[in-house]
Amino acid sequence: MRTKILGERIKRKEDPRLIRGGAHYVDDLKLDGMLYMTFVRSVYAHAKIKSINDAAARSVHGVVDVLRGRDLEGKLGNVPCAAGLEGLKIPDHPCLAPDEVRYVGEPIVAIVARDRYIAEDAADKVEIEYGPLPVVVNPEKALEKDSPLVHSKFADNVAFVAKLEGGDWKLVENDKSLKLIKQRFINQRLAPASMETRGVIASYSSGEDALTVWSSTQIPHLLKTQLAVMTGVDEARCRVITPEVGGAFGSKLNVYAEEGVASFASKKLGKPVKWIEGRRENMQATIHGRDQINDLEVYVKSDGVVAGLRCRIIADLGAYHQLLTPAIPTLTALMILGCYNIPNVWVETIGVFTNKMATDAYRGAGRPEATYIIERAMDLVANELNLDPAEVRQRNFPSPKDFPLTLATGVDYDTANYQKTLKKVLKASGYSRLRKEQERLRKKGKYLGIGLSTYVEICAMGPSSRMPAGGWEFGMVRVEPTAKVTVYTGTSPHGQGEETSFAQIVAEELGIPFDNVTVYHGDTSVVQHGIGTFGSRTTAVGGAAIFGAVQKLKKKMARFAAFKLKVKPGELIFDGGKLQTADGSKSIPFGEVVEAAYYARQLPPGVEPGLTEQMVFEPPNYTFPFGAHVAVVEVDGETGEVQLRNYYCVDDCGRILNPLLVDGQVHGGLAQGIGQALWEDHVYDENGQLITGTLMDYTLPKAHHFPWFETSNTETRTPVNPLGVKGVGEAGTIGSTPAIVNAVVDALKPFGVRHLDMPLKPEKIWRAMKQAAAQA
Amino acid sequence: MKIEGTYMVSAPRQTVWEHLLNPDTLAKSLPGCEKLEPQPDGSYHAEMKVGIAAVKGTYHGRVEILDPVPHERFRMKVEGQGTGGFLKGEGTLTLLGDGSETLIGYSGEAQVGGVIAGVGQRLVQAAARQIVQQFFQAFSKRLA
Repeated sequence: MRTKILGERIKRKEDPRLIRGGAHYVDDLKLDGMLYMTFVRSVYAHAKIKSINDAAARSVHGVVDVLRGRDLEGKLGNVPCAAGLEGLKIPDHPCLAPDEVRYVGEPIVAIVARDRYIAEDAADKVEIEYGPLPVVVNPEKALEKDSPLVHSKFADNVAFVAKLEGGDWKLVENDKSLKLIKQRFINQRLAPASMETRGVIASYSSGEDALTVWSSTQIPHLLKTQLAVMTGVDEARCRVITPEVGGAFGSKLNVYAEEGVASFASKKLGKPVKWIEGRRENMQATIHGRDQINDLEVYVKSDGVVAGLRCRIIADLGAYHQLLTPAIPTLTALMILGCYNIPNVWVETIGVFTNKMATDAYRGAGRPEATYIIERAMDLVANELNLDPAEVRQRNFPSPKDFPLTLATGVDYDTANYQKTLKKVLKASGYSRLRKEQERLRKKGKYLGIGLSTYVEICAMGPSSRMPAGGWEFGMVRVEPTAKVTVYTGTSPHGQGEETSFAQIVAEELGIPFDNVTVYHGDTSVVQHGIGTFGSRTTAVGGAAIFGAVQKLKKKMARFAAFKLKVKPGELIFDGGKLQTADGSKSIPFGEVVEAAYYARQLPPGVEPGLTEQMVFEPPNYTFPFGAHVAVVEVDGETGEVQLRNYYCVDDCGRILNPLLVDGQVHGGLAQGIGQALWEDHVYDENGQLITGTLMDYTLPKAHHFPWFETSNTETRTPVNPLGVKGVGEAGTIGSTPAIVNAVVDALKPFGVRHLDMPLKPEKIWRAMKQAAAQA
Repeated sequence: MKIEGTYMVSAPRQTVWEHLLNPDTLAKSLPGCEKLEPQPDGSYHAEMKVGIAAVKGTYHGRVEILDPVPHERFRMKVEGQGTGGFLKGEGTLTLLGDGSETLIGYSGEAQVGGVIAGVGQRLVQAAARQIVQQFFQAFSKRLA
């Protein structure tokens, strides 16, 4: 019998060091002679910089240097944007604003000092004289003819317009039997708010002309390339090291100004320079998520089957493009049909500049918006036609036999069985019983709400032909001379747990103990190539590369073993620390094969010594995980407060390698998705001042807000990668937001409420109930 | 942010008027005011220490008195900047009364930016009200 490691609920290798405080983050690292950097940031949303007086800051004892935008001109490249869209306007984005600021928090001056206290004190002494300019905060106002311009070099604030059309829209418009349902949705701005803020140490060595950068990032390899371009240091002499990353959620899938300025400062001063982001800076100047206005129209037949969907997406991009800013809302358009085979679609996406921080990838990145639109739409259809929301969904699902399926959006869905997940979650939640309970409670003046969401997401990013900068991933496996195994992956994690899951893949394949496998990541000098961790790609793309490398390695080991055993290499099975023939008659210990490969005294013909194999996996398609969620809420009729009573979810992320990791991803994702539905809102006032600048003002979900999540799975494998896995990092976030809003709106049905925009704070619900009472 | 209210002081209008336009009285009455110096253009240069929520900082800026109607009203424009960001405001002060008491009415708009906006927004209004209260209390003591 083969040792079973894959698919088992194995505890994470990462956890002991994290729990015991033995892990090392950027801020834990101290280098000899290290200097500390801090930034003076704009207090205006839009202003000319009339003058900067840094004399007092320079005179502070311990200040080593003060840098301004003009000091970087021609010496440090701009903050890069990798998104390529037709007609995209890309404004210059210098690392320090030289003459004009366009959002509150934009860095203007960098102070380098002997320690952080001195740097912060000196920053307070920098006097900047601003000439305030007109501000535009609302993206719809930014589209008006007489709106102030965020970038005066452009004729308007439109960064791009992208259209997506499929099917025959004329047919829909001419069919008078169809019912038109319209709704505007606001997908509010969010703060990613990872527990560890951003941080960087840059260390330039003039002797070797070499730049080493430690950064809390999701993309060390891409960062290395970009820093080489920005600083002019030969890429071969650039190295990025990513130690432990304490959360990111997409916000560290970026190249930030601060990483550039730290590198520049270290090169200029010949000393290591450290910058650790404060929480207030993190709220202001780390990318934000979401921020879309969606005007939706659905054309529906009398039986609830949707014939056409039209949507206008206004995406608030903020003032500048970060790495993928304009690309994110295009994912909304791509996934707007959800898991319904709606034959006709028309989507227009307008990316708009405003005087705010850039939006970019935040857990789900464009897909939660799409799921919210389509899942709210399904409930609106159900409400309009007086059908059960579960029934409406059933009527619009494609059959499992229809896959692979190309939708009207042109997207090719791999495999699915939406009926199965929905059926399972309805059973788990006792859906029909809940409906009866709801009836009973309504008669007593109590408001129970039941919300459904059946989502599909686009993951495992992705085929290189459709990605901004390559979608492949690198993996390498080496059996060491002691028979321990080292795995190298380009997907540098920030909580994904791949030191565990990748070790499971390798241990299972080689038939060796799980503890004998160590996974390395996040150092560009150790791991030769990499793209990074985002878009639920770690296992489906990074894991597939590891799996491919291990197959090559097995072939080679089998040749050494077969040579010794005098059998054919294809006859050998790896199990129980041995390589043996199928009938077990001949075998050789794993360690002896390793010795043969390294001592190399007798090599099989044409085989090189050593046991290292690598693979770059290029995914032929994305994957499309899906699921069905049910939220049960109670709304207090007096106060409008929402109590989340139960949460049930059935997620299908393809084959499951470790149920514990899947559960962990789903739990965290749910917390963030529910956070958007009920509490989170990153707010700028009309002058462009960020008024939710601290965690006192921005509500993050906490453990006490939640019931126990009842999670379960179905497993529909994908042919897109050899592991059959699809990805689960964003599923919880994508599936949960509409489930909660659908539940709250369902609870408010007796008040005639048809829709409420997020976050569903008690005050908003209370007002809706009062208004209904006043109209009655 | 709107700031408005009234304050009754026990002094005739003329006295109140004179003191309101006396930089020395103002400087001593304004909480945290460290400097209020008349400038050649008729404005004042001010330096103030203000703490709102966790944000304590020194602000310096300009105070201008505009459109004065003696013993009745004047407009005031304030622009300050400091470690916690900036504050800007414009308002009108009116004096009412014909005996030994004067009712001072004030009404204006203020805007804050930077850290004070991001950290103290919920508390700015309350803090502004408190500063105004403290000012009038100190001011009426000086009149007495």
